[in-house]
Amino acid sequence: MEKGLTVRKIVIAGVLGAIAILLGVTRLGFIPVPTAAGNATILHIPAIIGGIMEGWGVGLIIGLIFGVSSFLNATVPLFKDPLVAILPRLFIGVVAYFTYVGLRQFNQYAAIGVAGFVGSMTNTILVLVMAVIRGYMPAGVAATVAVTSGIPEAIVSVIVTLAVVVAWKKIGSSGKQKSKISGDFK
Amino acid sequence: MSAEFELTRNITIGQYLPTGSVIHRLDPRYKVTAFVIMILAIAVCNTYLGNLFALAVCLVMFRLSHIPLHYGISGVKPAVPFIIILAIMQLLFYGEIARGGTIYFQYGFVTISSEVIRLVVVSAMRFVEVIFLSSVLTLSTSTTELTHGMERLLGPLEKVKFPVHAFALIITIAIRFVPTFAMEMEKMMKAQASRGADFGTGEWWRIVKRTKDMFPIIIPLFNVALSRAEDLILAMEARCYTPGAARTRYAHYRATPKDFAAVGICMILAIVMLIIPW
Repeated sequence: MEKGLTVRKIVIAGVLGAIAILLGVTRLGFIPVPTAAGNATILHIPAIIGGIMEGWGVGLIIGLIFGVSSFLNATVPLFKDPLVAILPRLFIGVVAYFTYVGLRQFNQYAAIGVAGFVGSMTNTILVLVMAVIRGYMPAGVAATVAVTSGIPEAIVSVIVTLAVVVAWKKIGSSGKQKSKISGDFK
Repeated sequence: MSAEFELTRNITIGQYLPTGSVIHRLDPRYKVTAFVIMILAIAVCNTYLGNLFALAVCLVMFRLSHIPLHYGISGVKPAVPFIIILAIMQLLFYGEIARGGTIYFQYGFVTISSEVIRLVVVSAMRFVEVIFLSSVLTLSTSTTELTHGMERLLGPLEKVKFPVHAFALIITIAIRFVPTFAMEMEKMMKAQASRGADFGTGEWWRIVKRTKDMFPIIIPLFNVALSRAEDLILAMEARCYTPGAARTRYAHYRATPKDFAAVGICMILAIVMLIIPW
């Protein structure tokens, strides 16, 4: 189970990647907060959920899919730079996974929520740091964006992550839908 | 109003324009390499002449691939307001960071120098060039070709235990499911609307309301997606799919001198972009 990609990991990564692409293309994944960076987004949530559910590898891959699709669809010059659009996104799911694993011994639900928050903040902070380094924004503007779009993003991320992951864990325990061959239910 | 529910119409992913041009017929492996080289060069290039040259190269690519230019322009159009806002912000706030050059105007914290103007012009041009290039790539290559090409290109990474095939499969699954989920989402939006939910009707400044409106769609969307994933997992396991096992493939690519030439030309163009002074 620990080694390599199982069928389960491959499929979950693909499906959550599809959601990231879909929310981006239909622009439903954007919260219209008027800031310098355009909109706040919820596109990073699939990466967080994937990270929590199937480990850091899956989180990384979904982050990559999200990064590439935001790079290809971007309407803001900021995200037409691969160093801003793709690189920071790789870390979202990874950070979310390690946060979750670190905290789950205390409380499952709190761990999921905190992972959602931290994962979202990872996105906001790393993207803005890259934006400042690459010279698209001065540091002052970046700090404003971090507050005006980072905080709402993090709140939405906590709510959605909790709702989805908790519901998904229940699917396993009722033993109805989950494939039994791949094992690993709790 | 009805247009809001028709998500499938706006999805241009995997849009492919079969004109059968030289660029269409290139081996996808080499085509992707060539485009990556060009995009990296554009991302680094920060001179006026270099960017003008890059823009010219993009226009030539459109010509060569027989793709009408308005496909590229329609990608740029929605971005124009953002470009203008970004340009104004850079102009006003960037005096401190982009130092050097001649100073044309200074008042308080606003410093407009030749370096700032260069930054503004170059980032706008860079944006247009990247949109043009990526539209040529996606319009001239089908998604299957793209994923196959990527799989083969990443092939050497198998040596360091990177699961290349699995990775290509993930991308294929992701692209395959986008239209399916779009349909699911349409269904859900209609179902919620018929129960009296209203989304997209709130005024834009009522951010909290608009955000709340999204939850009844986003959360079921994830759940539907995950249960579909379970079905797919079961189906794949029932057919004894083993990740990492050796597989044969249907499509074989064989590189021709034309492909090598394409990569070579792109490399030369990239180098020219980077060494052009001014």
